[in-house]
Amino acid sequence: MSFELNQRLAAPRAPLSTAAAVDPVTASIIRGAMETVCFEAATHLGRAASSPIINQSNERNASIIDANGRLALGSIGTPHLTFVTQLTVRYGLENLQDYDWGPGDVFLGNDPDYGGGHLPDYNVYAPVYDDNGELVLIQALQAHQGDTGGKDPGGFTLEATDIFTEGLAIPCVKLVHRGEKRRDIIKLIERNNRFATFAGDLAAMISGVQMSVRMLQDLIRKWGADVVKAAVNYNIEHTEKRFREEVANWPDGRYEADVYIDHDTQGTKDIKVHVACDILGDQLTVDLTGTDDRQELVGVWNTFGNSRGYVMTQLAAMVDPEIVKNEGLFNAVDIIIPEGCIAHPPPNKPAALGSFHPACEITEAVCVALSTVVPDRAAPQVYKIGMPNAVIGFDENGMWMDQGVDARSMDVSAVEGIDGWGSCPSALGNLLLSEAEDAESRFPIINMSREMTTDTGGAGQWRGQPGSLNVKQVLVPTSAMAWMVSASHPMQGMCGGDDASPYTNHFEVGTPNEYKIDLAVSAQLPADAVIAYQHGGGAGFGPAWQRDPQAVKEDVLDEYVSLQAARDKYGVVLNGSLEDYDLSVDVAATQALRAQMKAAAQAAQVEGVQA
Amino acid sequence: MSQPVMEPMNYRVGIDIGGTFTDFALLKGDDIILHKNLSTPGDRSLGVMEGLQTLAQQEGLTLSDFLGQCDAIVHGTTVADNTLIEMNGAVTGLITTEGFRDEMEYRRGFKENIWDVRLAPPQQITPRRRRLTVPERVLFDGTVHKSLDEDAVRECCRRLKKQSVESVAISLLFSFVNPAHEKRVAEIVAEEMPGVHLSVSHQVLPRSPEYDRTSTTVVNAYVAPRVTDYLEKLVSRLKEGGYRHQLMVMQASGGVMTKEYIEGSPIRVLASGPAGGVIGSAHVGGAKGYPNLLCVDMGGTSYDMSMVIDGEAPAVAGWNMHHRYLVGVPMVQVETLGAGGGSICHVKNGEVQVGPASAGSEPGPICYGRGGTQPTVTDALLMLGILSAEAEFAGGNFSLKTDGVREAFQTIGDEMGYSAEEAAFDCWRLVNANMIQAVRRTTAGKGIDPKDTVMLAYGGNGPAFAAVHAEALGIDKVLVPKASPTFSAMGTLVAKPTIDEERSLTCAVDQPDLEKLKALWQELGERAQHYFAEANFASDRIQAKYQINMRYRGQNWALSFDMHSGALQDLSFVDDDLGTKALAAFNERHMLEFGHVREGELPEIIGVRLESSVDTPSPKASGGYLAARLAAAPMGYRQANLGEGYQETPIYQGAELQPGQEIAGPAIIAETFTTIVVYPGWQALVDDAGDYELNRTGS
Repeated sequence: MSFELNQRLAAPRAPLSTAAAVDPVTASIIRGAMETVCFEAATHLGRAASSPIINQSNERNASIIDANGRLALGSIGTPHLTFVTQLTVRYGLENLQDYDWGPGDVFLGNDPDYGGGHLPDYNVYAPVYDDNGELVLIQALQAHQGDTGGKDPGGFTLEATDIFTEGLAIPCVKLVHRGEKRRDIIKLIERNNRFATFAGDLAAMISGVQMSVRMLQDLIRKWGADVVKAAVNYNIEHTEKRFREEVANWPDGRYEADVYIDHDTQGTKDIKVHVACDILGDQLTVDLTGTDDRQELVGVWNTFGNSRGYVMTQLAAMVDPEIVKNEGLFNAVDIIIPEGCIAHPPPNKPAALGSFHPACEITEAVCVALSTVVPDRAAPQVYKIGMPNAVIGFDENGMWMDQGVDARSMDVSAVEGIDGWGSCPSALGNLLLSEAEDAESRFPIINMSREMTTDTGGAGQWRGQPGSLNVKQVLVPTSAMAWMVSASHPMQGMCGGDDASPYTNHFEVGTPNEYKIDLAVSAQLPADAVIAYQHGGGAGFGPAWQRDPQAVKEDVLDEYVSLQAARDKYGVVLNGSLEDYDLSVDVAATQALRAQMKAAAQAAQVEGVQA
Repeated sequence: MSQPVMEPMNYRVGIDIGGTFTDFALLKGDDIILHKNLSTPGDRSLGVMEGLQTLAQQEGLTLSDFLGQCDAIVHGTTVADNTLIEMNGAVTGLITTEGFRDEMEYRRGFKENIWDVRLAPPQQITPRRRRLTVPERVLFDGTVHKSLDEDAVRECCRRLKKQSVESVAISLLFSFVNPAHEKRVAEIVAEEMPGVHLSVSHQVLPRSPEYDRTSTTVVNAYVAPRVTDYLEKLVSRLKEGGYRHQLMVMQASGGVMTKEYIEGSPIRVLASGPAGGVIGSAHVGGAKGYPNLLCVDMGGTSYDMSMVIDGEAPAVAGWNMHHRYLVGVPMVQVETLGAGGGSICHVKNGEVQVGPASAGSEPGPICYGRGGTQPTVTDALLMLGILSAEAEFAGGNFSLKTDGVREAFQTIGDEMGYSAEEAAFDCWRLVNANMIQAVRRTTAGKGIDPKDTVMLAYGGNGPAFAAVHAEALGIDKVLVPKASPTFSAMGTLVAKPTIDEERSLTCAVDQPDLEKLKALWQELGERAQHYFAEANFASDRIQAKYQINMRYRGQNWALSFDMHSGALQDLSFVDDDLGTKALAAFNERHMLEFGHVREGELPEIIGVRLESSVDTPSPKASGGYLAARLAAAPMGYRQANLGEGYQETPIYQGAELQPGQEIAGPAIIAETFTTIVVYPGWQALVDDAGDYELNRTGS
């Protein structure tokens, strides 16, 4: 638990020792088989668990780590979890004798200071041995739990100044010894969790990992441990090679960006994330030096493991998507994160909210920095939402939480050539959003609206997707927590595109008590209270006045863009009536208006240069 | 000598319409007779009638007598798939609950490739301007929270009419619990928009959650007018022709059912052709002792891959992304590559490429002589000598023509600086590489080593390529059933008439609401009885599987398991012990699936399910080599390039080959509707069923 431990956990690891050679096709088949194992594990958990965060929002991830602690396959699930998973496992691996590792064991870790992300992300993992008793692989399964036993139900405490406020931190504990569940330990962990179905969710994680271990043992028996190890080595080397080939095509140079968080949870404003990307030949270095390191900040501390992972989440989205996600990515990139900054906190800092911010600002800053280098893939893989409007209540079974439904359309920015589309950035594309019918069958709530709001997507030659307005009514008294960011500093437009719209959030809507949340709130909502969260849309790409006028007309017909914004932002003048669906572009008026806009933009540019 | 008196036959005909050919499998006692003719894209029912006419002639009957002796005509159609591929379905609108306009666009956040920020969105069936909402709200328990605003429904109709909408999907929240609002919206739309096609979510997919149900309903609305128009046209032609029974239609689930049943949700015919092929493969592979199959089907326009593992090709319901749309009905899993005999060979950026454009059946390859001018894979096979202009093609439907073929490949050769023959050979190599890679992705994606499987090749073009692909994949055995060219059609004859439906009801397992459970099973039973009666199946032939859906509170997925199998409407098993039996079955199943049961927690019942089916005669399939092994004699020789340059290659006539005969490669076997290539290092054997087995000899 120290900066030194972090450096040790992150240090590069050697390839697996093996006598076998492997051809690319066999390596690919073995990788495919591992993907299937991860898919089965993640599916098993999604089907067997009861927490809506796991079984509706799919906030879980299965990965395979090799015996040297390298990410052998980052697979099905949330990329933001994929790239942090191996550090927690490495801590266990570093101490395998102390923890008495052996066949049939299952471990759990969630400690932010021992390689983890934040406390709710439970990492359940199990070693896989060959028939000679040699450790070959480790199956890891992570999932965000509904509670962590800290001060506030749900694991998020706005004013927390240390990790202990947030709940039970576990560096590494054995849940199953040689195939037998350790009931004393499991009971202790269950006792430290308020969530009504936590015991079932933990049981589902254990059984999911055990199933995967059996599948991996079969794989090792079929091919032999040496061939499997050679395949893991090949795939990691191949990924590094492919990533470096991409970087070699990028122009050498230093590319920098600043991205700001509106404020920490106590109101200290403008928290800065600074990223410099240095490209030299096939070597990319991402340096976060210059990122805010004020020790008095509250709530904005992202663990070292998470910060590395979020850098990689963005980089992996800016290269050929076919490149396999494994340790080869980390081997290809140098990531520098200064000790003591908000992206590499000293021990015992709270970690829950940092996984939202600055985690996402790190991702966004990498994207902005590289946006001129890779404009056709410059879409930030973020969620700029401060935190979801989680509503929490208690019934005869214990604590319940409804949060997933809130995440409808947000932050889907355009890239060069493609408008933002869908409901979230692609990296979040397998967080299957929960549905009103499932949530309302389980919790005393009514979802009133989740529709997109006209004009909330950033204008641009390619347009950001509008954000949704999420309106929900609670039918019983509940608690709700919110931390609002991305209002003063919404997501940045790329290459001349407009920024996304700001986030806004109101509680007790339609009553005399209605209020807007500007900073943060931990509220008690009375029965029948309505909350309304307007998500920011995606940002635009390129100047709006360069958008095809016909595309603007179609946007107006679909009410993504209003007639007013078509004129004011895009310089498109439309004739006809939206009501009658007979709009047409007034070509002459549009050309004239756009000429004015272009002149104004050029003048502003000149002014900017002179200034 | 007097003619023997002919007993009327009880024929069964399986029909599968592909992009290029319409295939027929006629089951006559234990015999299978195959036929294929060109599809007729303008009106596909014409091609069906043309083929039936030919079959009638072959049987020495008039069409009317032939159809009068048909017990069943079973049909798999690609009409729905083509509609989604070409995105030329009905102009579709959606009416949904206020506040939920954009669910279709959100897709629950799903993106096919989470790492590809350049992935383009799917074309929207219901763009936002045609997704309209009405104030109304039903809650999870079926109570009405907000009454339906009927004026708003009429306003939606006005707006949809303005946009010339032809088909309307209606999907309101919790309609699967209380469909009253949906029914009323449907009535109003029918009044306000006469003639418009209606798809109502509680009928198409009566279950949660809303995106899954809405998407399935929207896709149904989009394809329904095309599917029903087509089926109605076909039924009326068959009736005029003298067919007296119900047309049975293949479903993606691998079962068949009547047109009347299908018309309730035409989406069920999506991917039904490929499903027929997979069901047929499992049947044939099982009979020959090969339970693990890699099935490859290459026709004129596509290369379909599927797996049969342990003799099973189960239909999967739920999250089926089909042509980028969620289709929640059960589907047999098939993956498709857009490569077939009609794929066009061309030069792009200095490289030879094959596809993705296809000449289809009209105009088709140049060698079909129907106006095609661009060289295709089939033309390359002709250039390579694998096909011949001297022999009949496609069972004598027409002969191939060499006119223009060489010239077309020469154009490619000129750009690349080599001969027309080399250009054709490159096309052959490329299409092979594309398909091998696609198979690898399919099997590797499932963690299956193709070496552990037997390849089963079918479709008109499958057997010409199969052994090359098998060799590259490390597979030593390829099955080519005699029925291979019309295999999907044969599969429709194997598939059972089946209805599999469910209804939602939540109750505690220790206090089950027996009356309601019974009523729901009864309702499902009545529906099954009604549709099977319409199809002339006596109710005592119906086999019923009564199932229950259960889960722990909060689980998002239910486990389904049998509570009783037996006669339809025999509900005697619903007694006071039902809850106890259900709990025991749930615990056993949960332990099996998930390796644990929860302590101190009871699961809940969330619904009932009824799968009812009828056994019908299936084609026989067997294998083995009781017959003595004999060398076969070739009927001639021609120059052909089977990957090792042009060589004098023996040609065998499939119709002349007998069980037990073996042929060493290189050789070409001309079957009536396909060409089987025995590549160098391979040997062909004819088994006792007359099917081919290609074995790698390595020499």
